[in-house]
Amino acid sequence: MSSALSSSIQEIRDWILSKHPDLTAVDMSEDLIESRLIDSLSFVEFTFVIESASGVTIDMEKIDIDDFRTLTAVEKAFFATR
Amino acid sequence: MTNNVIEVKDRFRNILDRLSSKSIEDYYNPYRIFEWPDTLPEDMWWMSTDLTSTHGTELAEELDQRQLYKLSRYESINFYSLNVHGIRELLIEVIKRIHTSGFEQSSEFFHHFIGEENEHMWFFAEFCLRYGGKIYKQPQGGNTSIPTSNAESLLVFARVLIFEELVDYYNSKMAVDGGLHDTIRKVNRIHHQDESRHIAFGRELVRMLFEDVRRTASEADLRQIENYLKRYMTHSFESLFNPHVYRDAGIADPLRMRTRLLSAPTRAAFEQRVFRKPMSYLVKIGIFDDRSLDLR
Repeated sequence: MSSALSSSIQEIRDWILSKHPDLTAVDMSEDLIESRLIDSLSFVEFTFVIESASGVTIDMEKIDIDDFRTLTAVEKAFFATR
Repeated sequence: MTNNVIEVKDRFRNILDRLSSKSIEDYYNPYRIFEWPDTLPEDMWWMSTDLTSTHGTELAEELDQRQLYKLSRYESINFYSLNVHGIRELLIEVIKRIHTSGFEQSSEFFHHFIGEENEHMWFFAEFCLRYGGKIYKQPQGGNTSIPTSNAESLLVFARVLIFEELVDYYNSKMAVDGGLHDTIRKVNRIHHQDESRHIAFGRELVRMLFEDVRRTASEADLRQIENYLKRYMTHSFESLFNPHVYRDAGIADPLRMRTRLLSAPTRAAFEQRVFRKPMSYLVKIGIFDDRSLDLR
């Protein structure tokens, strides 16, 4: 992972941690949906944070939930082509 | 059946009869009631100034009058877009329940509710498409986060009530704001008139559903319900701070703008003002212990 990529993912990880003060780390392979770190109420903001960090505009009606399930999946879907 | 339950059901029946009669008396043709001008002037507010997301903040001072007008235009399109999405979600839930067990009393009024909400969705969508050229999209994702299965209907209708009260706060102010265009005032006035019936119905239904849940729920279940609904309030409030709106209004760093506004010193008071009525009601009937929305 390049340092630019690493800092972008870190930005997303920091946002997740800010929403869950009881946590100290989020693993790249942690299922964010299954573990309820992201739920329907926080999902909208999650997409905004990814857009801001990646520069990619997400089409809200063509969302594949698997692209958001883990940090690895987010990295692959929104950062890999940069 | 205890006397109390019979009294509550009788009261609910009387309210439903009154609201259904009122729906019939006040019925109007939404497709004829509005005159839609081809365009609305750009050099004016499209939303009451004290309802815009920058109001009272230092960010408002960084924008000139033209930028503030433009921002109010996109914020109003976002507000009506949220209505379109909110109505679609609530219609799905009501249609799932009409004429099913547990909703026998409500079903007659549900017919009026569904009809009126469909019409509201039409005129909000019409406004967005005519004057904004689009409806802001809303992503779907994540778990639905319903904490306890036997509280599902309570959470659904409490969400509907919170959403309607939030919208009504905006509608009732904009309906009488002489600084807004006639078309904007009228859209808000008509919606406010119908919503007063829906809110009256929603309050009674939520109270009945909560009494039912409370009989068997543990203290932990009840706190989970409170936590969920307060998170929903915060989520609904924050949806009015849409970075896509800030981008359309020409703001250089839209997400930073959103973050700054949501952490502005004015935020807590604004949020409490918007939710004053539903907060008081939910505390009064015992769903909420207090008025605090600071859950983090």
